[in-house]
Amino acid sequence: MRFQTASAVNIAAALVMAFAVGTALMWISGYDPLSSYSAMLITPLSDWVYFLSALAFSAPMALTGLTFSLGLRAGLFNIGAEGQVYMGALGAVAAAYLLGGPAVLPLAFAMGLILAVLWSSVPAVLKIWRGVNEVISTIMMNWVAYWVTIMAVSTAFANPLQPEESVKVPEPARLTPLVPGTDFTAAVPIAYAAAFLVLIFLKYSVWGYRISVSGYNPIAAKSYGIKPERAVLVAFALGSVTAGLAGVLQVVARPPSYSLARNLANVYGLGFDGITAAMLGRGHPVGVVLASIFLGIMQEGARHMQIEAGTPYEFVKVIQGLIILFLALQLLRK
Amino acid sequence: MIDLLLLQALLAATPILLAAVGEILTERSGVVNIGLEGLMLLGALAGPLFVDYLKYKVGAQVPDPLWPLLAILASAFVGIVVGLVHGYISTYLAGDQIISGVAINLFAAGAVAYGIQAYWGVAGYKQVPDWAKADPYVVATFALALAVFTWFLLFKTRLGIVIRACGEDPESAFNMGVDVNKVRLLATVAGSALAAVAGAYLSIAYLSVVTKEISAGRGFIALANVVFANWNPLLAIAGAYIFGFFDALSYWLQTMGVGRYEITRMVPYVATLLIVAGVMGRAKPPRALGKPFKRE
Repeated sequence: MRFQTASAVNIAAALVMAFAVGTALMWISGYDPLSSYSAMLITPLSDWVYFLSALAFSAPMALTGLTFSLGLRAGLFNIGAEGQVYMGALGAVAAAYLLGGPAVLPLAFAMGLILAVLWSSVPAVLKIWRGVNEVISTIMMNWVAYWVTIMAVSTAFANPLQPEESVKVPEPARLTPLVPGTDFTAAVPIAYAAAFLVLIFLKYSVWGYRISVSGYNPIAAKSYGIKPERAVLVAFALGSVTAGLAGVLQVVARPPSYSLARNLANVYGLGFDGITAAMLGRGHPVGVVLASIFLGIMQEGARHMQIEAGTPYEFVKVIQGLIILFLALQLLRK
Repeated sequence: MIDLLLLQALLAATPILLAAVGEILTERSGVVNIGLEGLMLLGALAGPLFVDYLKYKVGAQVPDPLWPLLAILASAFVGIVVGLVHGYISTYLAGDQIISGVAINLFAAGAVAYGIQAYWGVAGYKQVPDWAKADPYVVATFALALAVFTWFLLFKTRLGIVIRACGEDPESAFNMGVDVNKVRLLATVAGSALAAVAGAYLSIAYLSVVTKEISAGRGFIALANVVFANWNPLLAIAGAYIFGFFDALSYWLQTMGVGRYEITRMVPYVATLLIVAGVMGRAKPPRALGKPFKRE
């Protein structure tokens, strides 16, 4: 199946319409749109600390946005990033449980990524072997991942000192803030570097080319000797690496907790934010990074909006849904 | 205990059946709506919120048994509005149906969390008062009757032939004088309304609570059920009951103290995966499913 990407005009129009409808919604529910939008969009840009925090928010969304974009390239609607993020975080926590000292860090990456790739292999294999629609299989895997992770952090990996979180990554293994006093850690450059690598992969590697061709036209791909099934497998696997990376980084490189919350609050929803980032970023790695920065600003702004204007934090999610809806409205199939 | 489990399965099957029957109607006309999950969420919020507003903010005097009915109608209304948007995008605008469906899910996830917070001032969890509750068995019976009715409509009436023609061969349907986009729009609206009613059932009849994650994947399980049922509403009853059984089983095991809570909660999702993988080979979707119709 072919998915169309939006043009810059489409995106601008979608943003304008989404914020317009958002204004009406805020007005109906008795909040001040002007001060809310100002706190949401201007405040994060008014201070370096806020802006660096917005970038910290952007890192996991850029990574899960890459997951979804890689899927789109291969003609897949892979919404499994959510569960793969949980798995990445779970792997990192497992590493912290098993080892101590700086060795936790490499083990966290290894275990997190392996778990995420394994998790994505189920929908990938079901798709290739049985033709199971990936929308259904990835959502089911997300829910299984949710309960597996909840169970793990409330039993084996529970923190005896803090009931709200899992065991913590030991101090020498943490990726602490690069700018003291902010949340800006190595997670941000790592995420952007991952986007760059994905860009190189898609543009210059043979497999990147195969993925694009089989996503664009699987029948033509076959006649060139490309096996679309393998392209699907590679797109799923690579996507789960970036999603798993997001999960690992949320644990090892996210102050102040360096652990996984019992209710998964510090990873919950990151996979779905990636869908928004990918759509806004037109499925292009650079676009995904830019979109994730925009979403990061909104996320950071949401905190200020709640404090300054009293508008609930969740409002940014409403706006994000509206943006995608207005994008869909413009993406006409030719 | 076992008979209780089977009754519980019926109650757990109902939202999946309602949403699946609606989606079968929609997909038979040629439109895919993967926004069922979001519609359920919106419906789960809209009903209780509307009757609360009517009772406490407007001060309306309504005979008690009518409150749940009003709640269900309010949810259906929200489903109709969203269905009009998705239907319009999918037909006259020839937009991307998958993206539109995802947008519904993302929007609903935000809107419900926001709505609970903005209206009740609580974070993501609100008990439904007794006066607004509906009898789940009444809704369950309605859902079963509706499945039979939809089967009759689709396969035994002229209108059913028209709907299916729009999904199988819109070109021919158009040449026979059918307004393909209008049929598709109406089928999408009906399907969306049913998904929203499924949500209302969750909040006011089955779980007696509104939460921001109340649908818990049931919209996608309903989508799986459509495939399992091979787009046949009668088979969807069987499918919904199987899915409902695993849902009920997870709670049953929990009350029996068998296994950990988290493990039993995985059962419906794993079962859905296995069932869909098992039946996928013989699934035969409508030929024009997901393809916008344009006059040549």
